[in-house]
Amino acid sequence: MATLKEKRTCGQRCEDFGHFVWNSDNGTFMGRTPVKWVFISLYYVAFYVVMTSLFCLAIYVLLYTLDPYKPDYQDRLQSPGVMVWPDTYGEEDVEINYNTSDKSSWMKMTNILNKFLEPYNDTAQQGCYNHNCTKGQFYIQNTFSAPHHTKWACPFTTSMLGDCSGQEDPTFGYNCSMPCVIIKMNRIINFLPTNSSEPAPHVNCTILEGQGNVDKMEYFPDGGIMDLSYFPYYGKRAQPLYVNPLVAVRFHLVGEKSAKIQCRVVSQQISYENYHDPYEGKVVFFLNAGK
Amino acid sequence: MSKTDSYNMFEMDGEMDKKKSKKTKKKERMEGMKKEMDIDDHEITIEELEMRYTTNVNKGLTTTFARQVLERDGPNELRPPKGTPEYVKFARQLAGGLQCLMWVAAVICFIAFGIELSRGNLTCFDDLYLAIVLISVVVVTGCFGYYQEFKSTNIIASFKNLVPQQAVVIRDGQKNEIHANQLVVGDLVEVKGGDRVPADIRIITSQACKVDNSSLTGESEPQTRSPECTHENPLETRNIAFFSTTILEGVATGVIINTGDRTIIGRIASLASGVGNEKTPIAIEIEHFVDIIAGLAIFFGFTFFVVAMFIGYAFLEATIFFMAIVVAYVPEGLLATVTVCLSLTAKRLARKNCVVKNLEAVETLGSTSVICSDKTGTLTQNRMTVAHLWFDNHIHAADTTEDQSGQSFDQSSETWRSLARVTSLCNRATFRPDQEGLPIPRRLVMGDASETALLKFTELTIGNTMDYRNRYKKVVEVPFNSTNKFQLSVHELEDPLDLRYLLVMKGAAERILERCSTILIKGQELPLDEQWKEAFQTAYMDLGGLGERVLGFCHIYLNEKEFPRGYSFDPDEMNFTTSGLCFAGLISMIDPPRATVPDAVMKCRTAGIRVIMVTGDHPITARAIAANVGIISEGSETVEDIAQRKRIPVEQVNKRDARACVISGGQLKDMSSHELDEALKNHPEMVFARTSPQQKLIIVESCQRLGSIVAVTGDGVNDSPALKKADIGIAMGIAGSDAAKNAADMILLDDNFASIVTGVEQGRLIFDNLKKSIAYTLTKNIPELTPYLVYITVSVPLPLGCITILFIELATDIYPSVSLAYEKAESDIMHLKPRNPRRDRLVNEPLAAYSYFQIGAIQSFAGFTDYFAAMAQEGWFPLMCVGLRAQWEDVHLQDLQDGYGQEWTFSQRLYQQYTCYTVFFVSIEICQISDVLIRKTRRLSVFQQGFFRNRVLVSAIVFQLLLGNLLCYCPGMPNIFNFMPIRVQWWFIPVPFGILIFVYDEIRKLGVRRYPGSWWDQELYY
Repeated sequence: MATLKEKRTCGQRCEDFGHFVWNSDNGTFMGRTPVKWVFISLYYVAFYVVMTSLFCLAIYVLLYTLDPYKPDYQDRLQSPGVMVWPDTYGEEDVEINYNTSDKSSWMKMTNILNKFLEPYNDTAQQGCYNHNCTKGQFYIQNTFSAPHHTKWACPFTTSMLGDCSGQEDPTFGYNCSMPCVIIKMNRIINFLPTNSSEPAPHVNCTILEGQGNVDKMEYFPDGGIMDLSYFPYYGKRAQPLYVNPLVAVRFHLVGEKSAKIQCRVVSQQISYENYHDPYEGKVVFFLNAGK
Repeated sequence: MSKTDSYNMFEMDGEMDKKKSKKTKKKERMEGMKKEMDIDDHEITIEELEMRYTTNVNKGLTTTFARQVLERDGPNELRPPKGTPEYVKFARQLAGGLQCLMWVAAVICFIAFGIELSRGNLTCFDDLYLAIVLISVVVVTGCFGYYQEFKSTNIIASFKNLVPQQAVVIRDGQKNEIHANQLVVGDLVEVKGGDRVPADIRIITSQACKVDNSSLTGESEPQTRSPECTHENPLETRNIAFFSTTILEGVATGVIINTGDRTIIGRIASLASGVGNEKTPIAIEIEHFVDIIAGLAIFFGFTFFVVAMFIGYAFLEATIFFMAIVVAYVPEGLLATVTVCLSLTAKRLARKNCVVKNLEAVETLGSTSVICSDKTGTLTQNRMTVAHLWFDNHIHAADTTEDQSGQSFDQSSETWRSLARVTSLCNRATFRPDQEGLPIPRRLVMGDASETALLKFTELTIGNTMDYRNRYKKVVEVPFNSTNKFQLSVHELEDPLDLRYLLVMKGAAERILERCSTILIKGQELPLDEQWKEAFQTAYMDLGGLGERVLGFCHIYLNEKEFPRGYSFDPDEMNFTTSGLCFAGLISMIDPPRATVPDAVMKCRTAGIRVIMVTGDHPITARAIAANVGIISEGSETVEDIAQRKRIPVEQVNKRDARACVISGGQLKDMSSHELDEALKNHPEMVFARTSPQQKLIIVESCQRLGSIVAVTGDGVNDSPALKKADIGIAMGIAGSDAAKNAADMILLDDNFASIVTGVEQGRLIFDNLKKSIAYTLTKNIPELTPYLVYITVSVPLPLGCITILFIELATDIYPSVSLAYEKAESDIMHLKPRNPRRDRLVNEPLAAYSYFQIGAIQSFAGFTDYFAAMAQEGWFPLMCVGLRAQWEDVHLQDLQDGYGQEWTFSQRLYQQYTCYTVFFVSIEICQISDVLIRKTRRLSVFQQGFFRNRVLVSAIVFQLLLGNLLCYCPGMPNIFNFMPIRVQWWFIPVPFGILIFVYDEIRKLGVRRYPGSWWDQELYY
């Protein structure tokens, strides 16, 4: 015991450690002879090979059981999220700030929108034209009738966004005080936004702050409707050409030209009051067209 | 020098204590003690003494004055040393090995948090939480440990007054018996044989007074105390008796000159108690373990720091990873587990009459390899008891068991009746009143040890001794004194018609025999011829050889004519027949061993623990008791025995042949420490007799030099240095002085040696079980760490969060790890040798490697399987997860596409991440259930140990599952603690891995059992 209690100096400790690393007396390196090191290493290699293969087997079985068309569970996707473009963030919130007199500031916005709308141009949507989409009702497909064992998707082209399509006004109104924003609802497989008897979901924007600064709001397509024929979504594999329906909103800013706006996709099946997810069913953003 | 000066000296000592608590200083002062003892109370005349203390050597102090002095000086008791201030005690609880590790981790957390904050990352509060939790764990367990210590100190305190020491004091000219702590300087006290001197006293009158000063000076020979001053040194002079020394015989009165801590013994006590405690073996083990943990943590942290730099992280980020990994390696729950396990055992021990003052001492007892035990009271019952009788030329054995469960001897002989009559009548001891309810052996008696033994003996064998004595009216009595060495009394006979007187006498056997001319054999009075004398001699030698105190008994009917009724017997002149008596028999007495002791010593032997007897008693008695309880085993011989058997001089005997050895204090004094070491090495069975407490210290040191972990029992004040020096000091709860209790780590409430053995067993069990608990606790460190490593290197969404880890460490897994403390021993741990503190570590390399890199690895695989399953089934394929981190954690990305093309907002992803945390948590829990089952045993199969025998463990598993379910499914959990209600099947994904762990460990144990000493055993047995 006494030896255990001896206070050892740092030098002795180092020496002990050195002795541990290489002990010439019994030829051990770090407490084992080289042969034993080989054995133990082989054991661990074998152990990890077995364990890794078991793990790979488990993952393989897991992937094997997965449905390629739809996920097993959508626990976190009870209701779709909604986002606005241009998606420029300030400190925490979406803030669309631009300056009509500063070209670079509004060019940034138009670039974002142009980029965002790229998949929606007519050429990209060509593949969708070979079938009829009946407006106003769900496009339910139980079979894979489209080529390459897929399902049809209804096209959505930029032209449907009317004045906000960027075709007539490539600046999307950002060179003046009539900016367009585009609202997109996230897609969720097999999600039906309404019961079939109810009207289609539509976007409704309200001014939360600065009511006096917004003269008028225009929705494209008319009424801000997301047509039912875009629902349900069947997944990336079944509908490779699917695009989300969009709604563009044009704000006529006056006065201070600044407002806090909430745009909500109104529908029975879409919740929007989740405290913990501010983007569920609605999006709040600041619109500020500086002088 | 007056008493105020000695007062000052003491005060100064106290201050010095605080300033220099260095051992060397202590020793110097210990040496200086004798010189500093500067009193002249022994030199001045009685009158001067009376003046100084305003007392009167006949009437004593007045009660009122005594009360004043008491108020001024305080009670006459050894004040427990000032001790460490409470805050220091508390701080000590916060500064153990593990605690330091956690402090360092907390500091690292703060630094990491600071760095994150300065980088503008305001959302990352995990580090801060972690730091706070780490600190609170340390503080809470610190409070717990402190409370434990506090509680056990309280138990000790409550025992202080259980054995009140009474003293006879003369105040206002009246004799009173008062509590010894009420005595004050100047009090006139009366002491008699068997008493402890209640304070330092100057002898005024004395009659054949002898004291045993061994507790003070180490001189074991009785020393005469008389009123004359014989030496200028107060320690040498005859007219001062010291506090706590024992009066062996005679009576004396004296004036108190010092009380309480100002007595000589008080000063020694306060000096000794300043000696610092040694580190306990478990503390050393935990430090060793912390070394391992810290080493691994830094190794891992550094490796992944390099990896992170290589992958292309910024230096600062890599540094944060490094810190996080190091912190993740800290087993937060372990501190609580260790503390709780130790206190559980402490509680269990307390129920078995061992109170542990310091939690860590619990384990020390388990590693003990040598026990230096007292004899009196610990090995023996501490009461003289009649052991043997010799009459009718036969030695009869009396019942010496504590509860009178043994066999009695044949009581039909006439001689026995006569002997019993002598024994009953020639005895001055009486029972204290009002004890009818108590069993006879427990009753309190007024009288010295031998008389008490005889009284109890007659009461047990004949009964109603007091009544019997009343029937034989006592006429005259001559008390025992050291010149006569006998005691006699003359009685009237019971039969009123028989007018003879009966003279009964007892005393030292040879002296009695000298006075006898006849001997009673089977009721017949036969002449005491040479043949009978020889028979007597043989019996006397036999009994003496047993270490017993032998008394002879004889009687005679006085001639009616010579001594008619009304004859005036003169006890001083002894004007009556005192020779030509009739010898009745011998009775021998001994302080018999406790019934449980031989068994306990045997257990110690099989457990590889040496029991060394250290006693102040006579070598022969010591040896007899040692042989009786098995410290000297049957057939073992000492050097002297061999010499006698072979008829050769002692010098020619090869010392190695002698297993046993009895060394007396006198011999020990002349031995060098090397010789003592040699003796301890050569003779496995040692008895030290006639030793002083100081010599006990030498013996302890010698044992420690030989590499043993030494437990020492002690009760006296002067044992306190030895108790401190020992690895574990064990004080006696009943007989022990407060100083001894203070110096000890453990207290035996029943003073019973057998309790120590229980303690050893529990200590060994807790060492084994702590090993299991630690192995269990360490295992989950890996599945807690790997998610983070994978997160850094492969950039998957974080599989396991910080708060979740804390829940595993501090909530769900605490109870199971503690429940392992209730595990029964795998093998008969009392048949193994004590652990070698240098080889058998608490946490050794195989334990760490097996837990971390095998079981922990399997758990990690289980967790990742479950994690990928939960991700995949919600839409995130495993390969997609790789490299997803940046997008996944982008707060501004609200439409991240999963494998099916669905779009997720940040919050949805975050809750998915929480789902992963929960799934990983559940995986670890399921694997830990398997882990706790495999940790039940290290060598045996779990089937051999029994699945359900440890009920606590079963309930712990149930608790773990219930708590896991509560965390998962209680509403509100997602947003408070990041637990999500997960799908039921995700609980079952890790189950095959759990089974794998169980099966793998069973295979490991099978290999370990089948091939002991093999490569498998060396590498995989922990």
